[in-house]
Amino acid sequence: MDNLILEIKDLNHSYGKSDLTIKDLNLNISIGERVSILGPSGCGKSTLLRLIAGLEKPNNGEIIKKAEVMTSDKIFIPPEKRNVGLVVQEKALFPHLSVYANICFGIQRNKDKNKIVSDLLELLKIDSLKNKYPHEISGGEQQRVALARSLAPNPDLLMLDEPFSALDEELRKSLYKEVSNVFSDRNSSILLVTHDAYEAEVMTDKQLRMEKGNLI
Amino acid sequence: MNTVSSWRLLPFAVLIIFTAPLVIVLSSLFGNYSDNWSHLYEFVLLDYINSSLILVIGVAVLVFIIGTVTAWTVTNYNFIGKNIFEWALILPLSIPPYILAYTFTGLFDPYGDANNLIRYLFDLDDDFVFFPNVRSMYGAIIVFAFTLYPYVYLVSRSALINQSKSMKEASRLLGLNEVQVFYKLGLPIIRPAVIAGVMLVIMETLSDFGAVDHFAIETFTTGIFRTWYGLYDLQTAMQLASLLLIIIGVFYLIEKITRGGSIYTSNNSNFSPNLVDNLQGFKGLIAFLICFIPIFIGFIIPIVELSLWAYEVNLGFFNDRFISNSMNTLSLSLGTGIICAGLALLINFSVRFKPNKLVEKLSSLLSLGYAVPGLILAVGMVQLMVYLDTFLFSNVDIVLTGSIFGLMIAYVIKTYALANSSLESGYQRVSNSIDESSRLLGISGWRMLINVHSPLMKTALLTSVLLVMSDVVKELPATLILRPFNFETLAVSTYTYASEERMLQAAAPAIAIVIIGLIPIIFLSKMIRSSRPN
Repeated sequence: MDNLILEIKDLNHSYGKSDLTIKDLNLNISIGERVSILGPSGCGKSTLLRLIAGLEKPNNGEIIKKAEVMTSDKIFIPPEKRNVGLVVQEKALFPHLSVYANICFGIQRNKDKNKIVSDLLELLKIDSLKNKYPHEISGGEQQRVALARSLAPNPDLLMLDEPFSALDEELRKSLYKEVSNVFSDRNSSILLVTHDAYEAEVMTDKQLRMEKGNLI
Repeated sequence: MNTVSSWRLLPFAVLIIFTAPLVIVLSSLFGNYSDNWSHLYEFVLLDYINSSLILVIGVAVLVFIIGTVTAWTVTNYNFIGKNIFEWALILPLSIPPYILAYTFTGLFDPYGDANNLIRYLFDLDDDFVFFPNVRSMYGAIIVFAFTLYPYVYLVSRSALINQSKSMKEASRLLGLNEVQVFYKLGLPIIRPAVIAGVMLVIMETLSDFGAVDHFAIETFTTGIFRTWYGLYDLQTAMQLASLLLIIIGVFYLIEKITRGGSIYTSNNSNFSPNLVDNLQGFKGLIAFLICFIPIFIGFIIPIVELSLWAYEVNLGFFNDRFISNSMNTLSLSLGTGIICAGLALLINFSVRFKPNKLVEKLSSLLSLGYAVPGLILAVGMVQLMVYLDTFLFSNVDIVLTGSIFGLMIAYVIKTYALANSSLESGYQRVSNSIDESSRLLGISGWRMLINVHSPLMKTALLTSVLLVMSDVVKELPATLILRPFNFETLAVSTYTYASEERMLQAAAPAIAIVIIGLIPIIFLSKMIRSSRPN
């Protein structure tokens, strides 16, 4: 399956000795495909993204990215070596860095970094903010910066964990379209988790449902 | 070795260095016992135990009374000066007991300023002595109690402000008067916190050398110092130090256990802040005096007396020796501060970067050095340096023994806990999602530490450097034993002048120590002000 960007096989996970948060989960995502997972709070959506990112270890199962095993019983590639992006609701921008430096953070050794950052600033319409600090810009602007920062290293797969849920409805809807266009332009592979069906429909090509740790 | 495993190994490696002098001291118990030990055992050990016991009991009772009563008063009543007393009651912490001992001697000796004043005011004979001899066990108890009571005050106040007013209201309705509410309700509620505070005071008292030496009281620390410095018998000094270490270990355990249960707070949804009564007239005056007297004895008297001494020698104190000692102190304390802060940053980062229960436990053990008397650390460090010199430089000469190196390590072990507490609370304010973002962007390990954590920890790092500096400046016994030949610090020079009865000259370095010691007090005061209910 050469065109697969992500392949998950029989994934199980639990926090400590509690019940399984992910149960025998299987999922395939093709290159350039935009997939969303819809489900209620606590169904395991965020945990799935953290497992793919390498921020959690599963009990068992396999996670394969571009035909390379990231997680299995014997292999565990740390998050910094997976080349996947994750944008979360809290944004987690570095408060001591300007917008420009935040976006540049993951590509400091790239000789084209200035161009990459400039393009992203323009693409996400935040070029006027480049010298500002996170506390000086609005929530919506912060989310654009977080998105730009995740896109800068050109991740193989960009994952979004309810990225716009902290924003007001009007701003959210305008961002859906804009961000969706950005993803189309870049042919990004996207995995979005949300409980908002409208967001899933606008931003992704394929919608899946999750309940009690498994896709249905 | 990969990066992750080296992060995990760091706390282990540091723990080995930190515990080495203590292990060496304790291992002396299994070594040979010399004639000096037999002499100590037969003639003076019982005296050490007796006087330490009397001192500790006296200090414990006094700090218990002063600490709890002042905390109860400022928490439960409004009176003139209350807002100032809330934080000013911790000011005596900036005065090391040995400096209060020196000023008390200058004041209350038969021909000290206080007795001179009484004779002058009442036109009395020159041999009339009004104030009793302060160089006694009672004097020592007062000195320790009035410099160390803030430990009990701090824990008591913090326990009391978490109490709901409904409890106090209920007890008043059940017929208890103000005093009964204090000892029947207030004290039992804050008992675990108070016990923990008193244990800290006991550990500090047992660790002190300067004050008991000045008052010529035979305790473990004076015994250890004389055995090493007078008899040059390191083995016996370490054996004596082991006994003191074991005793302090017991108090440390009691402190830890009681602190574990120190939160008898209201956690029900009906919690409302404590009831504060307004006190006016005579009652207001009593409340004012309750809070003012400890500050007067523990802070105002020594500051005024030191200032008078400094004034008497004019600017004569500002000589080459003072400048050189200040520079020595500054470089030593700044160096230790930077090492401690850097180490605490690395250890806290390693715990956070690769969470592991064992590593977390080991890291918390690194703070134990704070409870170990400087004198014990120094004795262990002397032996450790001798071992290292023999092992590493046997063909050269003595390199590490009597060098700054041993002194700095002892300081680092003793003050690491201060830097660590500052860094720990700094890290609690940094969300884990910041680390996760960094790792997902390909930045981890050293690069994450340098590019993300270090800038975010800037304030915590600075705070920890300042806290460590203020503690190092005060440290006397470790400096006396481990300093290189002819190397003096402000604490050593204060001690030397005072032991030569040159109190006027002792004033300048003592004032410098107090000023630097005020740094953590300013931080604590800010915390106290921000912790006011409502």
